[in-house]
Amino acid sequence: MRFDTVIIGGGLAGLIVGCGLLEAGQKVVAVTRGLSLNEAPRNRFISLGGEYLPGDSVLPGGEWKNDRLLRVYTRNLGKTPLEADNFILSTGKFFSRGLVTSMDSVREPLFDCLVDYEHDRSRWCTNEFFDRQPFEDFGVRVDDRHRVFLEEGRIAENVYAAGEILAGQIDIEESALFVCKNLI
Amino acid sequence: MDFDVIIIGGGITGVSTARDCALRGLKTVLVERDDLTAGATGRNHGLLHSGSRYAVTDRESAAECIRENLILKKIASHCIEDTGGLSITLPEDDLSYQSTFVECCRAAGIDARVLDPEEVKRKEPAVNPELVGAVWVPDASVDPFRLTTATALDATLHGAVILTYHELVDFVIESGRMVGVRVLDKRSGETLTFNAPVTVNAAGIWGASIAARCGIQISMYPAKGSLLIFGHRVCRMVVNRCRKPSNADILVPGDVVSVLGTTSSKVSLEECDDIRVSADEVDLLLKEGERLSPKLSSTRVLRAYAGVRPLVASDDDPTGRSISRGIVLLDHELRDGLPGFITISGGKLTTHRLMAEQASDLVCSKLGVSARCTTDKTPLPGSEQTVQMPDKSISARAAATRHGSRISKMDFAGKSEVICQCEHVTRAEIEYAVQCLDVHNLIDLRRRTRIGMGTCQGTFCMSKVATVLAEALGTPWKAPEFVREYVRERWKGIVPVCWGESLREAEYMRKQYGNEI
Repeated sequence: MRFDTVIIGGGLAGLIVGCGLLEAGQKVVAVTRGLSLNEAPRNRFISLGGEYLPGDSVLPGGEWKNDRLLRVYTRNLGKTPLEADNFILSTGKFFSRGLVTSMDSVREPLFDCLVDYEHDRSRWCTNEFFDRQPFEDFGVRVDDRHRVFLEEGRIAENVYAAGEILAGQIDIEESALFVCKNLI
Repeated sequence: MDFDVIIIGGGITGVSTARDCALRGLKTVLVERDDLTAGATGRNHGLLHSGSRYAVTDRESAAECIRENLILKKIASHCIEDTGGLSITLPEDDLSYQSTFVECCRAAGIDARVLDPEEVKRKEPAVNPELVGAVWVPDASVDPFRLTTATALDATLHGAVILTYHELVDFVIESGRMVGVRVLDKRSGETLTFNAPVTVNAAGIWGASIAARCGIQISMYPAKGSLLIFGHRVCRMVVNRCRKPSNADILVPGDVVSVLGTTSSKVSLEECDDIRVSADEVDLLLKEGERLSPKLSSTRVLRAYAGVRPLVASDDDPTGRSISRGIVLLDHELRDGLPGFITISGGKLTTHRLMAEQASDLVCSKLGVSARCTTDKTPLPGSEQTVQMPDKSISARAAATRHGSRISKMDFAGKSEVICQCEHVTRAEIEYAVQCLDVHNLIDLRRRTRIGMGTCQGTFCMSKVATVLAEALGTPWKAPEFVREYVRERWKGIVPVCWGESLREAEYMRKQYGNEI
């Protein structure tokens, strides 16, 4: 199935990007587990003509040409790939498994994007619960257009990150609108 | 206020001493600066030792352990799960140690049976399949909170006064004799004076600084031990390594979790008030623990905690080199020329009843009272009869495992709403705890009902529990304060194990409770 943009992760960030692109006339699909309760953005996305695929998840890897992502596969669609000019990575942080952790590492599980995080595990948290925790700032590194890095110095040409998956203190809506602007 | 005996310290030893004295008809008061079990009693392995771990190097301690083990299984049955234990030999251990081990166990009165490793693998599928030897020993799992709560309850039922959040201010010493204490009621701000001919220092590792206030030196060796709680009951029996005791070589099942421990490192007395588990200790525990059960590496770690063993240098050696894990009873009249003051320290959870007996015997001899100890034959409340079930619901059965026959005091009718889903704690049980078990905040409540000790560690039910508790206490506006206090306390245990599933939970907790409530 061919689209202009595939949204990976239908939380608030993904849906805001999606709605913006739909309003600009793009053909958009969102693949999501559907865990977040963003009823209004979801309804808007669908009423704008967005293809909404809940209860599904994109499989790791995808097919690339040089540093351009061509298509992704999902658990439910089997052999049918989703092809698009651009892809949005808005899978969230730890709770939603946008980032996964082991005892000593933090990874982005779909494309192994470069993640900015503190390598000393004993500094992932502070003792005071009510302070902002260092782990809340971990996330994928992006360039000035919010494109992710496949490794140090290698940018994924057409994969844009929005929302909590980003490193640092993020305003979800702002990051989503920024990505949208880049793609219109 | 006049009493026969004052006890300082609300751990299992102090509480047990209060019970023993009360059962002998003494007018008893116990003061504890925090809540019961705030010290080592609430931070240990939950292991009812068979004594096998000491059989080779310290036969006397081992014999003491097994005697107490068997007594407690009778009188505190609702606090103990008689799981049995294994002492396994791995390929890297010396298999010849096993026969020495078995011989020494039997010589100390500990039933030790050599098992076929293949049979053990069938019975315990999660044990390390590489094991080359196994010995069954009568280890068991004990809930120290339940045990202390039931003991305290019995003490109060026999007239003892137990005062939590009452901190020692100073001793009252007249003509070179200790005649009482002054304490601060931390909740009301009032200072109270209690008079008694004998005062018992049962304050665990803090006993040294307490004795120091009257110029008495007790050399304590604070030995920190860290432990990990896993989210599954990985093995059915206690699993030990059949070798000289070392780090991380015991895995104990406890209700729906497993506890792996422990380490041993000296800490300062100051650190004892805010003891935390380090990343190195976590790494060590996981690495060694995997040898007991490889399954641990794929089991979620719920939290980490640490306690400090109150070890006493047995001959007052200030370097702490000659350290005994045995019971230490100090008569300060004979030792330091201060009549009216005794200290009971050292020992372990398994031998607490014997420690209390020895302390109470000494108290009675000072008072000229001839009543003998009956705690070895008197069941604790909750253990004394087969439980009459008010109904067959899961909640009633869950409550029965925690409170035994005391569930007859709970008002299930109309209050059976389940508040903590992980551990099946109902509103009825919470209200019972508030009315009868001296609960003042969520942390106290957790110690008495297992709320927050299950798989969600309180994350999902905290707000609801806080509301029910605040209402039951008649102070509904305190609910947010309870949550704040509780979430800070839980956080201490999550920080050292904050990766994987626990990190997901931590992120969720921060979102749920992180904005000042």
